[in-house]
Amino acid sequence: MLHSDIKSRPTYTQLEPDLSGSQHLLIVEGDTVLPGRLDSLAGTFAPVEENLHTWLVGTQAGGLGLGKVWRLPGVADVVDAFACATRGYGIGDRLYVQGTEPFLWSVAKAAAIIGFSAEQIHLHHAGSLRRRVWCTHCHTVTEDVTTSIASCSGCHRHLLVRDHFSRRLGAFMGVMVDAEAPGEVPAVEESFA
Amino acid sequence: MSIAFKPEETFRGDYSYRNSDAAVLRFPFPFPEDRYMYSVNIEPHVRSGPSDVFLRPFDVDEHYIAECRDKAITLERDPGRCQVLPHMMMAQWDTLELLMESLSADYPEQFSLIKEGDDFGSRWTWINRPLGIEQSFVFGNAETLPCEPFEYITRQAQGDFAICDQRDDNLFMDAGMVTSQADWSLEFDVGMSFMEWHGPVPLAHQTGVFERALKYLLMLRLGQPVRRLNWTMSINPRLDTSPESYPEWGPDRASVTPDNAGQKVHLRVELQTLWRLPRSNAILFPIRCYLASLEDLARVPKWGARLHRVLSTLPPQLVEYKGLTRYLPAALEWLAQHDDGRELPVGTEPGITTLGPR
Amino acid sequence: MIGETLTLKVAAASAISPSLRHLRLVAADGSKLPPAAAGAHVQLVLKGAARTHRNAYSLISRAGARDAYEIIVRRVPSSRGGSAFIHEQLKVGDVLEAGWPGNLFAPVRTARRHLMIAGGIGITPFLSYLADFALGGADYALHLCCREDEQHVFDPWLAGKSGVSVHWDADGRRLDIPALLAAQPVGSHLYVCGPAAMNDEVLELAAAAGWPASHVHCEHFGSALSGGEAFRAFLAKSGVEVSVGEDESLLEAIERIGVKAPCLCRGGACGVCATPLLDGEADHRDHYLSAAEREAGRLILPCVSRARSGRLVLDL
Repeated sequence: MLHSDIKSRPTYTQLEPDLSGSQHLLIVEGDTVLPGRLDSLAGTFAPVEENLHTWLVGTQAGGLGLGKVWRLPGVADVVDAFACATRGYGIGDRLYVQGTEPFLWSVAKAAAIIGFSAEQIHLHHAGSLRRRVWCTHCHTVTEDVTTSIASCSGCHRHLLVRDHFSRRLGAFMGVMVDAEAPGEVPAVEESFA
Repeated sequence: MSIAFKPEETFRGDYSYRNSDAAVLRFPFPFPEDRYMYSVNIEPHVRSGPSDVFLRPFDVDEHYIAECRDKAITLERDPGRCQVLPHMMMAQWDTLELLMESLSADYPEQFSLIKEGDDFGSRWTWINRPLGIEQSFVFGNAETLPCEPFEYITRQAQGDFAICDQRDDNLFMDAGMVTSQADWSLEFDVGMSFMEWHGPVPLAHQTGVFERALKYLLMLRLGQPVRRLNWTMSINPRLDTSPESYPEWGPDRASVTPDNAGQKVHLRVELQTLWRLPRSNAILFPIRCYLASLEDLARVPKWGARLHRVLSTLPPQLVEYKGLTRYLPAALEWLAQHDDGRELPVGTEPGITTLGPR
Repeated sequence: MIGETLTLKVAAASAISPSLRHLRLVAADGSKLPPAAAGAHVQLVLKGAARTHRNAYSLISRAGARDAYEIIVRRVPSSRGGSAFIHEQLKVGDVLEAGWPGNLFAPVRTARRHLMIAGGIGITPFLSYLADFALGGADYALHLCCREDEQHVFDPWLAGKSGVSVHWDADGRRLDIPALLAAQPVGSHLYVCGPAAMNDEVLELAAAAGWPASHVHCEHFGSALSGGEAFRAFLAKSGVEVSVGEDESLLEAIERIGVKAPCLCRGGACGVCATPLLDGEADHRDHYLSAAEREAGRLILPCVSRARSGRLVLDL
């Protein structure tokens, strides 16, 4: 089975403030911050600085000039922060996220659970193309996949990493590559470094 | 009208499923011409057509009991084959009402529905004789049924069912009972929008087929259901050809030879219907699966020859997408003996009323 | 249950205000009506003396009601059309044709909160929403803006329902729309139905308050209804001219006079009925032709499209 040419992949945007919004929350995955990026974001978001909160996740870098800044250790803390929000979010709020694909969708899903609509969320992909892969057979999720064929961390089958993507799971579909001819595994390529 | 059910047929293991002659003659053969390409082949779901399967809005045939049993086995092994998102309860009741009313009206010997009222809160009694079920419940109160209404009624109907919520000029697959699908995963696709879940289908996107189909479906009217046919192939009469169980049925694709292709290779036709649901305004999408072996089909001379021609000229992307690659050569070799090259009439009708010998 | 038209009988009619008439419609043969969704409408065929009107009215009955459909019709002062007919001609016992319920304004099932703003008679679709929301336990608020002397007109349908506020143009009673819109939680959906000027104002204020467009819904009827002005079409190959009536499609007229025309979906999507247009200007209502093809005007889909001007000449 070869890759298919999927028309339904999410597309990602540049990050800039949506001036129609009333409150703005910027969430940045520390691993994807290149030198100068935080300064550049501070410049872009200057027009809404008074209504801007920034969550820097898993990094000690930067801070000044990005509105009110909070530091969180990891994405699980972001998910918890949304779930336990003491301050309710409003219909005019806007969310901007920078990170690798699994990070983006973990955050987007946590926001969707409390009612954010897709229009309120802006996603910017940065950093590695590594994928979260969902095994169709045992339903286990395998993280940090960079190859076209990956071993499932649950059932250990060789999975072809397809381009079909679930926003709900934040993962790509993995299907057993050698079901029809056991052992015949095509050459593995480093496709998503 | 009585139906000669075959309750002990199996769709796995020893694969004892067989079509009677009558079942073969009423098979919804999907190819009106010698070549196949995608189109928006939607038409009104009226009580007539080239096959008897179109005579009733929900078709029940000789495989009914056996299919329901196979569905129950699949659900037991993998409960995730039935999922309903929380906001779809109104649509669940709409679906239950539609199926109960249709089946009891069209097959009164097999199904009965006694209603003390039409509204939520009224007591209904449902009788399903083939499955030996008698259930009294309150319409609109899920606690009076053994499980939620969508699961309850779709366990008693042949084929898969999806319910799409209509919002934001789009359709979202927010509920499904999917145990006889051709190779897509409900667990993965549940909640997806129309374009997302059709993402993997090759070629069709370039021609704009899905944009047009979506616009058409958004305008679907209550009381005017539509239908179309879809097709693929399976090795052995296996209903559960899900990606989940691919390790079980995938190896069968490598077991086909030119000698056994007639018995093993099956044409799998999906009669897809689309219904606007009354109270929820959602769209019900039943997918009814019909299976016939090449041997079955070749007993209708026109079908054997036509199938040979359609499969020989199928674009490579479709061969791959439909999973035919490994066994197509063997199937074509078997079918070639039934194609004498003569001109065939356009249309899907069998053109005969009794079958030739095996 | 599959069908195209309903035959209804007026079971009750009453004036609930000088300009508003409430009608209760049942099936003429006493059978059950198809259940409808919250926000549904029915299109009534009103056979006036001069011409036939096809007007759509929101059902105020709760979703699923099968013994009757209820509507409230406002008398449009300068009308020579449907509303005049309903107020002046229609009486209890009269029989009329109607389409099956359609729906262009259904509530969004995934909303965390439903906020409705109604202007006068615009409350009608929301009356059907209220029973729906009460059943499912949804969080909602309905704000009715009306004239002071109309504040009790809809009481029979609002009695006992929480979450309803009535506003009129007087100090202390006006609705502060910007404040209301700014205060709504994430996951809210806004529905507005009223006079065009009120609708426009609310939509603008919602955008300014940062409401995502997909969360703002406004009742509109126009685009989806079939029928239109009558016109003539000449079928060149058959040498026959046909008059296409207001309430039939071009395809139906062609079929009526016995000319065979290919078709499949009958909804403007599949392209099977696409026919060369030799003369005349088409009103394209299909989803099949490209913008360039519509511009070029050499094809028409008779199942849904009609004439914009002149007489159409088809290559049939």
